[in-house]
Amino acid sequence: MKLRVPKKERRKSGDSRGKHILRNVLIVLSVLIVMALAGTHLLKLITGNEMLAIPENGVAAVVTPLQSGFASVVNWISDYFYTLKLRSRLELEYNNLRQENEQLTYQAMLAGELQHKLSVYENLFDEVSDNEQLNPLVATVIGRESGNYFSVFTINKGTRDGIKDYMAVTMSGALVGYTYNTKTTSASVRTIIDSEASIAGLISTSRDQGTVRGTLGIDGQPMCRMYYLPEENLPRPGDQVVTSGVGMSFPKGIPIGTVRESTRGMESNKQYIVVEPSADFQHIEYVIVLRYQPEAEAVEDRSSSSDSLTLVPLESIQPVPTVLIGSDTYQLAPTPTPSPEPTLAPDETPAPTGAATPRPTSGSGSYEYQVPSSLQNGATNNSYGFTLAPTATPTPTAPPLDLSVEED
Amino acid sequence: MFAKALKVAVLTLLAYLLQATAVEYLSIADVAPNLALVIIAIATVALGRKYTFVMALTVGYLIEIMTPMLDYISLILYPVAAMLSALVFSDKSERKLEEERTLGRRTGQWNPHLRTPLCAALSVAVFEAVHLLYTYLSGVSLDAGHWQRALTDVLYSMVLAGVLQFPVRWWLGVYKLKKAR
Repeated sequence: MKLRVPKKERRKSGDSRGKHILRNVLIVLSVLIVMALAGTHLLKLITGNEMLAIPENGVAAVVTPLQSGFASVVNWISDYFYTLKLRSRLELEYNNLRQENEQLTYQAMLAGELQHKLSVYENLFDEVSDNEQLNPLVATVIGRESGNYFSVFTINKGTRDGIKDYMAVTMSGALVGYTYNTKTTSASVRTIIDSEASIAGLISTSRDQGTVRGTLGIDGQPMCRMYYLPEENLPRPGDQVVTSGVGMSFPKGIPIGTVRESTRGMESNKQYIVVEPSADFQHIEYVIVLRYQPEAEAVEDRSSSSDSLTLVPLESIQPVPTVLIGSDTYQLAPTPTPSPEPTLAPDETPAPTGAATPRPTSGSGSYEYQVPSSLQNGATNNSYGFTLAPTATPTPTAPPLDLSVEED
Repeated sequence: MFAKALKVAVLTLLAYLLQATAVEYLSIADVAPNLALVIIAIATVALGRKYTFVMALTVGYLIEIMTPMLDYISLILYPVAAMLSALVFSDKSERKLEEERTLGRRTGQWNPHLRTPLCAALSVAVFEAVHLLYTYLSGVSLDAGHWQRALTDVLYSMVLAGVLQFPVRWWLGVYKLKKAR
């Protein structure tokens, strides 16, 4: 039986066969062309005939522009990836450098902090070693109460460390305040700018004494005012104010501040001058407490002999007036005799002498505060109150009264 | 049909251009793969031996005339290496399969995705072997470095063939044909 294939299928089958033949023809043609070209090339290599290089040159002429374009594309892609790689490497390098920079910045800050601490410790060491006789003690500020009216802070040393009330507290060669409310392990310090603080001071040049008080509670300024100065003298701006050693158990000569204005202010009938404190109250971290105590013997002598005190009138050339109150007889101080000779010229100021201000001596158990040499500058390069050259005051001043009692 | 012929022509040109320009950027440890043989190996499994021969001969000829290294080497070696691997890894013809069935042999073929890298590896291995032989005959004693470079080239080309076969086969329409069946 003969199988009949539909006409459509026969036509499709014929087309497929035609395509197949055509494809084979194409392949054979391609192979022949390529082999012909290859054979020409081989012949050229063998014979060295340049005529045989013509097809080769033709192929190269076609391929070369294509290859050039392709090579440029490949190069562009390669450059692009290289740029990406370079950028990522740069980013990595940038991040590393940034991290390194942060570390260095931190280290620089740390070094600055350590340098500052070292400087503070050096100053403290100088101050402590220069005033060993004042029994100094370094304390750390652990609390601060600085309002509009009061300025006090707390230190980490107390009675266990030998601190008592009203001991002088210094920092960087300047008086900060005094201790109060002393506890076993801590103590409060009232600064000199506190309006509750009252310290005996003197002008280092003229030796005029007065009382220094804070102004924080008066006008809100971190300044001091010095009251009870003699009316004859007007201190100059820049004159040093130091502790006079009178009252409390303060050593003499601790710098308090400098005179800011030469004019006098008036407060409830009391004249004052403005003193700018030397201490930096904004940056108090460490302070030195001067556990200075006056020699106990002198105090004991005075107190122990008070019961059997017998006043023996000294013989004097001039009659000494006495006052009888009840059964007790009191002797008045001798009145200075007016000198027949003219006094000094008004524009001259007598040099302060040691006798003008009682100077505590080591023999009697009193010591004077020594400003560390590392903190000295300008006018404060010597011990205060004695070795500075006298300065002429702008106003005429009377000669100081000699109140010393002559010994017969 | 013409589309396929055009694709083969483009693929052949691409194989040559990549081998001539891009290979240096793909080198690993100073060993560059043979991209031309890789693409020819992909075409061997996807299209068959006839196309393999045309492609290999054309690429060999172009390399021979454009970047001649040694006389005759590229012109002869590319077709020889490609055809040797094609004998082993290309699709078997229907007649061959029928013959094997008649003889009671196992007629199954390996997966083309596996045969392609193996075909590339064999081609490059033949290529490298001839070059090593030529080097040896030139008076250079072969050391471990030579073998290491040759092995690296074979392995690198094999991996490239395993990766590149998917886009090339897709472009040649092999997956479309499989889906239609």
